[in-house]
Amino acid sequence: MYDDEELAQLQKLSNDFEPEPTGPLVGERQSSSAITTEYANADPVFRIKTAALPDKYAYFRTCRGDGHCGWRAIAFTYFETLIRVGDVNKFEDEEVRLASMHNLLNIAGFQPDVYIDWVDEAFDLLRKLAASVQVMDGAAPGILLDTFNDLGISLAIITYFKLLASAWVQSHPADFEPFVNMPLKTYCSHHIEAANCEIDNVAVVALAESIVKPAGIGLEIMYLDRSPGEEINNTYHAEPTGHDGLALQNPPTMRLLYRPGHYDILYKAEDFPTPVQPPVPAQAPLHVALAGYTDDFAPMSSNMGDVMTMIPGMYPTGIGQRWPSVSYDYHTTPAPPPQCTPVQPYAPAPTPAASVASSHSHQEYATPVHASHGNHHHQPNQHPVHLEPPVTLPIHPSPSVGHMSLERAQSMTMERSMPFRPSFYELEPGYGVAPVLTLPLQTSIFRNSHYNTAHFLNPDFQPEEWSPDAEYATGGNRVRHKSASQ
Amino acid sequence: MALSTGARSNGGSATVAQRLQKELMDIMTKPTPGVTAFPDDENMTSWTATIEGPDDTPYAKLTFKLSMEFASTYPYAAPTVLFKTPIYHPNVDFSGRICLDILKDKWSAIYNINAVLLSLQSLLGEPNNSSPLNGQAAELWDKDPAEFQRQVLARHKTPEELDAGGI
Repeated sequence: MYDDEELAQLQKLSNDFEPEPTGPLVGERQSSSAITTEYANADPVFRIKTAALPDKYAYFRTCRGDGHCGWRAIAFTYFETLIRVGDVNKFEDEEVRLASMHNLLNIAGFQPDVYIDWVDEAFDLLRKLAASVQVMDGAAPGILLDTFNDLGISLAIITYFKLLASAWVQSHPADFEPFVNMPLKTYCSHHIEAANCEIDNVAVVALAESIVKPAGIGLEIMYLDRSPGEEINNTYHAEPTGHDGLALQNPPTMRLLYRPGHYDILYKAEDFPTPVQPPVPAQAPLHVALAGYTDDFAPMSSNMGDVMTMIPGMYPTGIGQRWPSVSYDYHTTPAPPPQCTPVQPYAPAPTPAASVASSHSHQEYATPVHASHGNHHHQPNQHPVHLEPPVTLPIHPSPSVGHMSLERAQSMTMERSMPFRPSFYELEPGYGVAPVLTLPLQTSIFRNSHYNTAHFLNPDFQPEEWSPDAEYATGGNRVRHKSASQ
Repeated sequence: MALSTGARSNGGSATVAQRLQKELMDIMTKPTPGVTAFPDDENMTSWTATIEGPDDTPYAKLTFKLSMEFASTYPYAAPTVLFKTPIYHPNVDFSGRICLDILKDKWSAIYNINAVLLSLQSLLGEPNNSSPLNGQAAELWDKDPAEFQRQVLARHKTPEELDAGGI
């Protein structure tokens, strides 16, 4: 199709591609189908690759191509990922950890009075974000975006990250010397510390090793160019490791899209149940009131996971599975069933940017519920009240409670209690202990059944202690207990 | 906190003033021998500086006046530095423009006024003759140091002569 010369020519054009330095320093998150549209009239390789993009990476965010874009993209997504993790303590931990690296800066010859201003801006941002995450006012993403669109502050933070990268490279000569063809010190001052230098591979690795990975965050860089293939290439991948040196399971991951000479930010759909858009201030208190919110669980902002758990038979399948947990507007205490029915499975007015994810999940949610209740409908007019569209039931307020059949009350109970499971998997390792959290799901009906395999999941289960004689000897008590609980 | 953010968000010029104020303090409290710098007025964005020619160079015992302009993006962009005193040097043209990498693409935010002036001072004694702005000077530097010295002195003006000349 192309001869080599043409290809070389096109590759050169692609290499020389320099986007106009216009637009916001960091743009709003948008659907990545915008990238597909951008390349709609490009040649087939780009068309095919970008057409496949929105399936895997639902959103993207532009960075202004002013020579700082790669630095800015990594710095921005680092803070953004901390917000996504949603742990207030993490911000403090990161501040302490970054401060502990200032020793490296000093060894590399940077004067504290030179870099302290940049440190202050970065730490100031960490604290503001932490404060917002703590009170859950939803303002953190807006604060972050505003901060990074302030040229002075974003350059201060970028410069701080540059110095950390430079100091990291200089303190790990064995890792980096083979990749540079000049003294490390010179390389760093020309290609990392220089105010106007695009980020290169050495600096990406240095940032990943010094800032991103130790924060428990992964980094992936996708490469979009004219090379043959149907999807964009994963050109760089950094996996964080835990204290045990093993790779973390499903860590929060920052993703960048690299086009020769330019970086933007990519997201997977599941990264964003979180409202990164400006919050609707009146909403949060309203949800809290409706849900009987108690703050004994770490707040996790999401609306995907709890929707998933509404689907009969859907459980998180493993501890490592990254399910956004129950959002606090769905968080209920194990109250008697009638009180639980008014609880809304998700926000009545989902915040705008979540639209793609939530409309999708609406569908997933609605279908199975409809199906299960549909079975009731086929039984001729047994419960007239069931003629109500089942989809509205979960958000219907208490008046309908009185008409509920026993079966439905049970199924509601199940639906209500299930969302507790993913929230457990979302908690910090070591929060609580497994038996406490798994026990409530074993109802007294099933507990004694020898068909029940659930007790194998209980770490306290000791099969050698079970014997039929013992069981029947204490049978009297158990029967009483059983009938009482029913 | 919100206030300070608001004040800084208009192009970051408040930070530039703060930064330059801090540099002025440092220069005043810890003056570096051979270089001076002071803002021209209270808006701090243009400064006048002097450097003394290093000993054992053709510029020994000569004082050179420079102007420095700071953009609103300083220190993330290099200041614009010009020699106000006419100087005969391989890397300075006849309008005083300077070719020095750290004032161009190698500028880093970790540099400051003092670092720029010290770099310029060492440039006087160690010109980069491979990329000259003044080709004749680059040639004479190696070939005919005596003629080079003569050219330097012929071109030089003392600060008093400069002021009298109305520059």
